[in-house]
Amino acid sequence: MSGPHPLSEPERIAVSAAGVVTPIGQDLDTFWSGLLTGAEGISPIERFPVADLRVGQGGEIKKLTRAVDWRRVPDCRATRLLVSAADDLCVQAGARSLDAEPERLAVVVGTALGGVEEGERALRGSPRRLGRALYDAPGHGLARWLGARGPVVTVSTACASGATALGIGAEMLRRGEADAVVAGGYDILCRFVMRGFDGLRSLTRDRVRPFDRRRSGLLLGEGAALLLLRREREAGPRRLGTLLGYGSASDAAHIAAPDSQGRGIERAIRAALAEARMDAADIDFVSAHGTATPLNDPIEAAALRRVLGARGAAVPVNSIKGAFGHAMGAAAAIEAIVCLLAGRHGQIPATLGLEERDGACDIDCVQGMPRAVRPRISLSTSLGFGGCNAALVIESA
Amino acid sequence: MRAPAIRAIGLLSGWGKGAAALPLDASRAAGGRPVLAVERPSLDPDRFRRSRRECLMGVAAVGAMLEDAGTGPEAIAGERTALLFATAAAYAPSNREFIEARGGSMYFPYTAVAAVPAEVAIEFGLTGPYEILVGGAPATMRAIARAAALLEMGACDRALVLAVEVFDECADLFESLRPRFDGPLVEAAACLWLEPGEGTLTFERGRGLRNGGSVRRRVGEMLACEPLAALALAGESAGHEAMQVQGSWRGETARLEWSSTPYRTRPRAA
Repeated sequence: MSGPHPLSEPERIAVSAAGVVTPIGQDLDTFWSGLLTGAEGISPIERFPVADLRVGQGGEIKKLTRAVDWRRVPDCRATRLLVSAADDLCVQAGARSLDAEPERLAVVVGTALGGVEEGERALRGSPRRLGRALYDAPGHGLARWLGARGPVVTVSTACASGATALGIGAEMLRRGEADAVVAGGYDILCRFVMRGFDGLRSLTRDRVRPFDRRRSGLLLGEGAALLLLRREREAGPRRLGTLLGYGSASDAAHIAAPDSQGRGIERAIRAALAEARMDAADIDFVSAHGTATPLNDPIEAAALRRVLGARGAAVPVNSIKGAFGHAMGAAAAIEAIVCLLAGRHGQIPATLGLEERDGACDIDCVQGMPRAVRPRISLSTSLGFGGCNAALVIESA
Repeated sequence: MRAPAIRAIGLLSGWGKGAAALPLDASRAAGGRPVLAVERPSLDPDRFRRSRRECLMGVAAVGAMLEDAGTGPEAIAGERTALLFATAAAYAPSNREFIEARGGSMYFPYTAVAAVPAEVAIEFGLTGPYEILVGGAPATMRAIARAAALLEMGACDRALVLAVEVFDECADLFESLRPRFDGPLVEAAACLWLEPGEGTLTFERGRGLRNGGSVRRRVGEMLACEPLAALALAGESAGHEAMQVQGSWRGETARLEWSSTPYRTRPRAA
């Protein structure tokens, strides 16, 4: 289904470091402990008016707390989320310069919304913001902050964007186009996207309950997550793990809803496994997309069961969207980090909000409390508007 | 990397259909018009009742590509066809409309960058690898290089590189960005059909590379569609061997170079 394997094994791509900014933590350690302890990242939205919407809560970051010189960063929330995550990544990497020549340092970011809030502000009377409304503007803002003069790429495969960015970043290293790639995803909570999902009746008035029989929709969140990628032979001993495979596929079914059989996400998973030279039997953990919409979860669960085969009911699966909502373009990059940290710490975070498992989601969801398992090989799945599907296969160090 | 061969190109632009419609000097041909628009393609009004003009342009560009190839949709349907989409700003009109609260919430999914390739994938049954890049000409050139990589690794048998740009609904907004653009803004939709080929493809980019800008002077500002217009133009002239396409955006210039002609059959008009 995914086509023949490449003639030669693709070069392994190491993840040297990572950084995050989320509603439950603005550094890797706080984020991880928040996931394990069940920190609540959902709150009433305060940054823009929501009184006219059915749902006025989400995973909002109330204040950016990192000690960044914000005078050097454009007054654009999307760019600032990226810079916050990059600042954490630089701390985690232990070097402000990221140890690469500026011309050989690339930036690849994924987003569903780009700088759309700047477009809202421009149309309200700040036309100088218009240039920042183009979806690739925040990525260039991040590159300037990092001092990167290598390729700057923005991808937008909706809510699968973070995974696409990691796949393209890895390919860039394999082709020798850069020596280090800062890759990941971001998106902000803004009125534009809240209005959109609210109008579609996709948002829940309850809590987010992935794979739960009472699930009634998603909540939106915001954040950014960045990973520092290098060719494994040049990465040195300090690393979080390895990006083994990436795959994508189109549903060609509906403009907004996933394919009813999950065939697109299944093809993406099989393609990622093929690139990783892995079989489903190698998978120890699945970080699922798990949006908690009535439609997504059983479709995704069925696709996972088909891919995982006989082991389908025994491989632990979680979704972190109960903790701080669906971070859209950031989600897949955040979930890739969850895969890496689960292997490092020997813990799989529980699926917050899951209380009564849906029989139609016949998978082993981690529920109630973190599970003491140390996954070596993890799978991360992502689905988005426009029939976008992507999957990553990740090995923990 | 191994070079992909070009099986066909479809091009629609504010100048008309195909490379033959492109002028020799865009500024002169525009005669002071800031935007040259493409009319909403007349496709099945029921099937596309909610679709936006930019989506229909994408579908029509693939149709023109199939016409150029002399084949039907069945030749590209299925999971062995990759679809790579590039645009700098095709989402701008839908975003503006939604911000200004025109149109209902059911149109919200059409604000996504993915809306254009989604309609194309649905219309032609394209279920293979699927990637979307945002940016000007270098994004499209990267999409071509990415298509070459997917072909080389056997992830697909053919790859379509689609680019769409629309300006008309946001002409007033683009006017304020005018210093960034050369010549008139020319709406376009173009699709390139790539298959495994011979020779090598080199993709390079940098801030020091010189961009001659000759194609842009000729066709106008097409942003992500410019490299595909350049390939359509090059396909019209006979006898070339190695060929090169370049383009720039946000201070970065990218260059694609085929070591031998990528045109599989005769030089073709798009």
